[in-house]
Amino acid sequence: MTTLAAQEGKSAAASNLATRGDLSDFLGRACRDCGADSYMLVTVLHDQDKSDVRIISSNWIYDTIQAIGQGLIAVIAQSAYTTSAGLRPRSIRTDQASAGPTILSSEQAFLLHRNGHSELYCMRLNVVRSHAFLLVSSKLPERIDLQALWRLQLQCSYALAQIPHLLAGAAHQDPLSDRERECLLWVSEGKTTDEVAVILGVSSNTVNSYITHAIQKFAASNRAMAIATAIRNGII
Amino acid sequence: MVATASQTRPGSDYRTTGAIPPPPKIQPAVSMNDAARRCRIIAADINAAECAVFLIGPSVERGRLVPCFDAEYPSIAATTKLLSIRSGEIIVKHALVSPAPFWWSSNTASASAAGFRQLAWAVETEPCLPGTSGLAFPVQAEHGQFGIVLFMGSSIIIDEPSLCDVHARSFALFGAVARLRSSEHRAAPSISKRELECLRLTANGHTSDDIARLLGLSVHTANQYLSNATQKLNAVNRMHAVAKALRLSLIE
Repeated sequence: MTTLAAQEGKSAAASNLATRGDLSDFLGRACRDCGADSYMLVTVLHDQDKSDVRIISSNWIYDTIQAIGQGLIAVIAQSAYTTSAGLRPRSIRTDQASAGPTILSSEQAFLLHRNGHSELYCMRLNVVRSHAFLLVSSKLPERIDLQALWRLQLQCSYALAQIPHLLAGAAHQDPLSDRERECLLWVSEGKTTDEVAVILGVSSNTVNSYITHAIQKFAASNRAMAIATAIRNGII
Repeated sequence: MVATASQTRPGSDYRTTGAIPPPPKIQPAVSMNDAARRCRIIAADINAAECAVFLIGPSVERGRLVPCFDAEYPSIAATTKLLSIRSGEIIVKHALVSPAPFWWSSNTASASAAGFRQLAWAVETEPCLPGTSGLAFPVQAEHGQFGIVLFMGSSIIIDEPSLCDVHARSFALFGAVARLRSSEHRAAPSISKRELECLRLTANGHTSDDIARLLGLSVHTANQYLSNATQKLNAVNRMHAVAKALRLSLIE
């Protein structure tokens, strides 16, 4: 009896997220718990030269995003300031003009600071084969509890896994079928088409067609590029 | 027994005293032995009797669970082998669906099971080994290497905040393990700047002709750079060389 009650209590407490709204509620609450004011959850899709930022959930003032431009979000997400789970989050300060090396121009820093983002953290969320980035910021510096922050990083990745369709766009990073992925993996290990054919027990023509499909799906120009794209996206 | 040991070690008693431990960092584990020691420390902190680290093999169709090390390092405990053979599929299936920790317990009356049931974020799964209780953390290293850090024992003590802390420490541990493994494989290739440049361009889909034009070389020289790089990386062909260079972070 007691266990039943406990179970009901726990589902109300945190974990059962089904919609984008649930996720926003969760993020808003979790943000306050770690002393932060704002959050932004994004995915970044790479095309050859440009990065496309898609916002999953955010409580930033829309004008701020307009003013700094989505490109800057991608720059922050791909910078060395972004930390994976298990690493100490790195703070980006916008309130100090010369606080060491920074990826922001003084103008961008000023804009962020004026709009209530004095201290900013960016964390990478690994959700199996796709990933997202969580930006957490506070109006005043040194308000964010780092321990709560890395807990939030993990909980947020658990939460995203419960609502996989929110990452549907990011899943396009792994558009391959199992067979195509397997072929690319073996080719990246230095196997020739004939060798892959023997390993997988199919004909060489089939192997070539799997690889051609993979190349097309990545819009790559040849095998080497398809392999590089797959490795860069953590697919193989 | 174990509980007393863990309480006497400084820095491990934050759960009971409320003191905040230093944030986890990827400390470069100097050896697998060191990594195994760090794993045992995490196990002691949650009062687990056994711990193990697994890699999820890259064969994508049916990911295999490959034991990396456990508390009995340098040998491998029988339970670890059993786990990878008997329950590899269950564990891998979980890890490839969600990053959330998962647990099992064959003995619903055990102290572990009571604690696990309170965890909102952890998912219950079928028993991985009969007669055991355990908690598994899916982890990931750079360049998409997947793994599992797993703890077993009938009196594991864990709550919601420490679940995330242990997961973060598992990530850090696995990052160090993955780095150790890749440095073991690295034969310190002294690849020249030009050779790397050619590899990078190849990875971006350029042919030897393109590379020659872009770098102002003859096609012959570009090919020569690439075959030198292939040789230095101990690769069998160009594709293999590009893949190795990316996985070793020699090129981005």
